[in-house]
Amino acid sequence: MQTIKVLLASRPKILSEVLRTMVERQPDMEVEGEVLDPIDLLFVVRAMPVDVVIVTPLEANQEPKICSHLLADHPHLKIVTVSAKGNAACLYQSGGDKKRLDEASWQSILGAIRESINQNHKGKKSWSK
Amino acid sequence: MNEPIRMFIADDNRLLREGLASMLEQQQDIIVIGAAASGSEALEQIKDLRPEVALIDIGMPDKDGIEVTQTLHQDLPEVKVIILGMVDLTDEIMACIEAGAAGYVLKEGSFERLVETVRSVHRGESFCSPEMTASLFSRIAELAGERMPEIPKSSIKLTGRELEIVNLIAEGLSNKEIAHRLFIATQTVKNHVHNILDKLQLLTRLEAVQYARERDLLKNKNT
Repeated sequence: MQTIKVLLASRPKILSEVLRTMVERQPDMEVEGEVLDPIDLLFVVRAMPVDVVIVTPLEANQEPKICSHLLADHPHLKIVTVSAKGNAACLYQSGGDKKRLDEASWQSILGAIRESINQNHKGKKSWSK
Repeated sequence: MNEPIRMFIADDNRLLREGLASMLEQQQDIIVIGAAASGSEALEQIKDLRPEVALIDIGMPDKDGIEVTQTLHQDLPEVKVIILGMVDLTDEIMACIEAGAAGYVLKEGSFERLVETVRSVHRGESFCSPEMTASLFSRIAELAGERMPEIPKSSIKLTGRELEIVNLIAEGLSNKEIAHRLFIATQTVKNHVHNILDKLQLLTRLEAVQYARERDLLKNKNT
């Protein structure tokens, strides 16, 4: 089975712990690591190949600036943003693709991750084994 | 084994609410009996479900965590409330305590600490992290100072002997030297100093001298 590698860069800590637990419960996903400051993502993703990064943006519906930098360097990457307040979540892919995940449920987020990774397998590069 | 702790969660962030519920359910001694995304919904459900412990997010739409806690404390005081806060603000924590919260945990804290807090408040204890306890104690001390009635210093009368001793302290004499100068025992001087500080509600000999100087109670040696 292919494993989807996930990197967490979310805050506050309790949300990060919840994200880690929920991702690790998925048989086809694993948390590769965690960064405290999203600025470190550029360096960490370079050193640690992952398929998905989950980030908490400062503004719920705003695309974190780091998204465009990450996607430019790693076009295979999927970035999921989840807000610490409210229920906003988005999935960003290279090429300016953005998918808003309504109601930000676990099902919708995990489903969107799987779907986007499957699309990668059909044509684009993926780090998944 | 004892009955599991019946818990309720109110948070407008669905991922956090459902994720925490799922993780808390993994604890053998905790069962999550309900959850809500807003303050009003939480109050309605808690009145029906009667949980033992309610975890309430401080910043929810319609009714915030403090309002919910106040209502619960008034209507259902048996429900122990833990506030889930975003920042370590002493005034905010004080407001939660005043509203009747039994615990306060930060979202920047760990899940382990949250579980520990749930168990503590269920046992009837109040709980907040050691870091928050320090700032709380400082704030309580400040409030105690503000509430303490100030004794008008003008109404305080020092005896002639006490004034004499304050003057000698102002000259820089030690208790032993004062005793020698006044032909009394050192212990007697100590007793006088103790009484002076007690009367003036001061802590040090230096403060007593300062007090006397401000009120022209010191003899000017040059006059």
